[in-house]
Amino acid sequence: MSTTSVVASLNNVTRTFVSKRGDVKALDEVSISLQQGKTLALVGESGSGKTTAARILLGLDQPDSGSVNILGSELGGLKHEQMRLLRKSIQVVQQDPYSQLNRRHCVERIIEGPLLAFNVGDKISRRDKVISLLKAVGLEEEHLRRRPHELSGGQCQRVAIARALALDPKIVVLDEAVSALDVSVRAQVLNLLRELRDELGLTYLFITHDLGVAHYLADEIAVMFRGRIVEQGDRKDVFIDSKHPYTVDLLKSVPLAVPPDEKRQNNMDVQTLPSPNPTDACTYRSRCTVGRDLAQCASDKLTFTKGSPTHLWMCHFPVGGK
Amino acid sequence: MTQDFEFLNRLGVINVAGLIKIAKVVKQRFSFSVSIILGILTACLAAPLLAPYDPYKIAAGLPFLGPSRAHLFGTDDLGRDLFSRVLYGGRITLLIAIAATVIALVLGTLWGVMAGIRRGWVDEFLMRTADSTMAIPQILFALVCISAVGASVISLPLVVGFLLSPTTARMARSAVVTELNEDYVVAATASGLTRNRLIMTEVMPNIAPQLLVQLSINAASAVMLEATLSFIGLGIQPPNASWGTLMLQGYAKIWNTSWFVFFPALAVTITILAFNSYGERIRVSLDSRKSSS
Amino acid sequence: MKPADNKLNALSVRNLSVSVPARGGRVLAVDNISFDLPIGKKIGVVGESGSGKSLTALALMRLIKDPVQVDAGEIFMGGKDIMKLSAKEFLPYRGGEIAMIYQDPMSALNPIMRIGEQIIESIRVHSPMSKQAARKIAIDQLGSVGIPEPEKRIDSYPFEMSGGMLQRVVIAIALSGNAKVLIADEATTALDVSTQERVLTLIDKTATERGLSVLLITHDLGVAAQYADEILVMYAGRIVEHGQVQQVFSRSVHPYTRALLDSKCDYTLDVTKPIKSIAGQPPRPDNRPSGCVFAPRCDFAEPACSASIPLLSAHGDAMAACFRADELIFNQEVR
Repeated sequence: MSTTSVVASLNNVTRTFVSKRGDVKALDEVSISLQQGKTLALVGESGSGKTTAARILLGLDQPDSGSVNILGSELGGLKHEQMRLLRKSIQVVQQDPYSQLNRRHCVERIIEGPLLAFNVGDKISRRDKVISLLKAVGLEEEHLRRRPHELSGGQCQRVAIARALALDPKIVVLDEAVSALDVSVRAQVLNLLRELRDELGLTYLFITHDLGVAHYLADEIAVMFRGRIVEQGDRKDVFIDSKHPYTVDLLKSVPLAVPPDEKRQNNMDVQTLPSPNPTDACTYRSRCTVGRDLAQCASDKLTFTKGSPTHLWMCHFPVGGK
Repeated sequence: MTQDFEFLNRLGVINVAGLIKIAKVVKQRFSFSVSIILGILTACLAAPLLAPYDPYKIAAGLPFLGPSRAHLFGTDDLGRDLFSRVLYGGRITLLIAIAATVIALVLGTLWGVMAGIRRGWVDEFLMRTADSTMAIPQILFALVCISAVGASVISLPLVVGFLLSPTTARMARSAVVTELNEDYVVAATASGLTRNRLIMTEVMPNIAPQLLVQLSINAASAVMLEATLSFIGLGIQPPNASWGTLMLQGYAKIWNTSWFVFFPALAVTITILAFNSYGERIRVSLDSRKSSS
Repeated sequence: MKPADNKLNALSVRNLSVSVPARGGRVLAVDNISFDLPIGKKIGVVGESGSGKSLTALALMRLIKDPVQVDAGEIFMGGKDIMKLSAKEFLPYRGGEIAMIYQDPMSALNPIMRIGEQIIESIRVHSPMSKQAARKIAIDQLGSVGIPEPEKRIDSYPFEMSGGMLQRVVIAIALSGNAKVLIADEATTALDVSTQERVLTLIDKTATERGLSVLLITHDLGVAAQYADEILVMYAGRIVEHGQVQQVFSRSVHPYTRALLDSKCDYTLDVTKPIKSIAGQPPRPDNRPSGCVFAPRCDFAEPACSASIPLLSAHGDAMAACFRADELIFNQEVR
């Protein structure tokens, strides 16, 4: 293992949502660890559990089993006030630029919010801090008095980022933070996030369904499907040496902004089998072009295969052989 | 003219942007209905100045006089000037109604917000209590309370206020629950805000407009309730007279001297209409803001 | 712009302008656009917020309602200007000749009606027939859009189905009126990447089978690149570039198109460098710059660019609205 330290982790976390229409296992014994200064991207479609994992890490939800650790403290055993203090170290930027800001507050008050929550400094020092944060995210003093509805999506997202940095956190969770932005604005905000990370030595947990964004920002990428991490590794592992059929399918499905080839490979319209009940065996089976009819995939328990120090996957018949 | 303002703005003398914002609010708030409300309020407050006669003075004029220049609303069976009585009566009715509205707002908001943030069995309990309170026939409930403590300027607002609070509670609860599901609340929680501070500084400003609507509608109901209670004799007793009491006295003589009842009833009607239409106006402007933004 | 030729084109738009209310009057959200949709072709309409692409789609369906208004324009379908038809005359067109599907299938479908009922309703509106006959057709339609066991699924409610399935149902309904033109407004934006691929492939296949012409409105450049034949790039209410997909994605002419392509973040990017982003943000309708709308953000802008509005004109094998297009083509490196 490298010498960088683990600043936060989910260890064997399981979280099931109970509902009248049946239980949904959002996370199935998932383990994630964030290393100081590095960016981990959780990639998956809706229902993969990536958002649940983020919420649990932020202490906004509790796992049914397993533990959550932030900067050495186990979240499960903490009292309210201790948890609250720990929040100084881990902040969040969410997807919708407008709804994550209080529409009745002005920008200054929004960014000041976390400082007020902990009674940091006095009015003057707080104002200075707010202005410096504002400038750090590329906004101007004239924006202080504005309300969210008077700003563009990109500007709102910058305000959200400024707010997240107000308490000088070590970790920032970015939950689809650029997904709701226009393409050109997305590029700006990604650049900003990168700069801030490099400048402040931040650790990012980046939740996204967009492989391109994950590729650009992340040092490590974990691909999730229905509550499990099916493949994990660095850029090369996941994008070039992909092992899991789901990762391969995802990469093939992403339409690239390049002139189309003469013969576009259309994925055969694969009918999805009804999803099996949660078991230890593969949950991707119903969509897998490789294992859908194989007995082993239906019955055998899955465990992680480790291909290299960085690369893990969970598949009986990985692409390119075992 | 705008150029003059711009010039002053640049000098820093006045903040044009701020003024425009205030003007917009004023234009919204000072609608016709508000002018009516304010007009009535001022008239009744200024009763000592405006009333031409002492409302209690018997034989200020000949009895049973119809509306005339000397007596705008006429005189009653004891010769008392009805215009003065309506003005003074309004003071009492409005005092009770406003006090009741404030009580309903405070009680209802606390009730609803508590239910909204706790959820679980506390929520269930509080809301079922609200439902039950709403199910009680208001007049009967008032009857029981007032027969126990007597009717006064203290007891009436409490009773009326209590009767109006469940609707406010339900509205406050649903507003709080909706807001608590919003992203900015997640962000505020993640920022380390304590729950109480969250409610006070983040959520309340967002439900304030809805509470304002409820306030207005409650005011209308409060006026109605007070008038009703006094009319059936459960409210303000003679020789003091609120509008309801005036209507009761007038009712006895309704066939021969219809103006006894007419003027206080008119006053009640206009006041209720004004409060309701103001509340409606705010609600409409809230809805339009929600759908356009 | 050449006059509309309905033998070649399923749809011809001429000088369409749509205005919205703003402080001190009205502003144009769609500013004098013209284009042709050739029969059997797919045009990808690409643009960011404020580009006017969605309003264009609504205008084509005559779904523009107060306070938004269509100020001017002609829309030719089958030789007729549909803007001149009365509301009653246009009714059979909407859903019949020209159909539209939107981003959120959940809100496009009535949650308390079974999906079968909704398709049947749509079929019977456009071709009167008995419920039983319509039901048979509905089952066929569901099958052709790739829904397994359509005889059973036809009686499902929307909440019982996934997003991808629902979008297929929406497509089935949209096509039940034998439309000639299909408008897909961000139809796959809310779907996962794998589902998106399947739905777009379905639209592709269906369009080819039925000779359908498609207007694919999207902010996703990749989707436009892989599934469209022609590309229309819109910015701030105007068309800035219009060309064949090969040309637009390999040798784009307009500075905005090139900047947009440069700013797209996909996994082929060099991660060691910042993404080449466009400074500033797209202007709001009430904030449009004079002259060329893109000039304030353009790397190649000159004072002359803000003096007058560049018109869409041919530069080589592309159409672009840029005064400097010719010299820029000459100077650029080939992608």
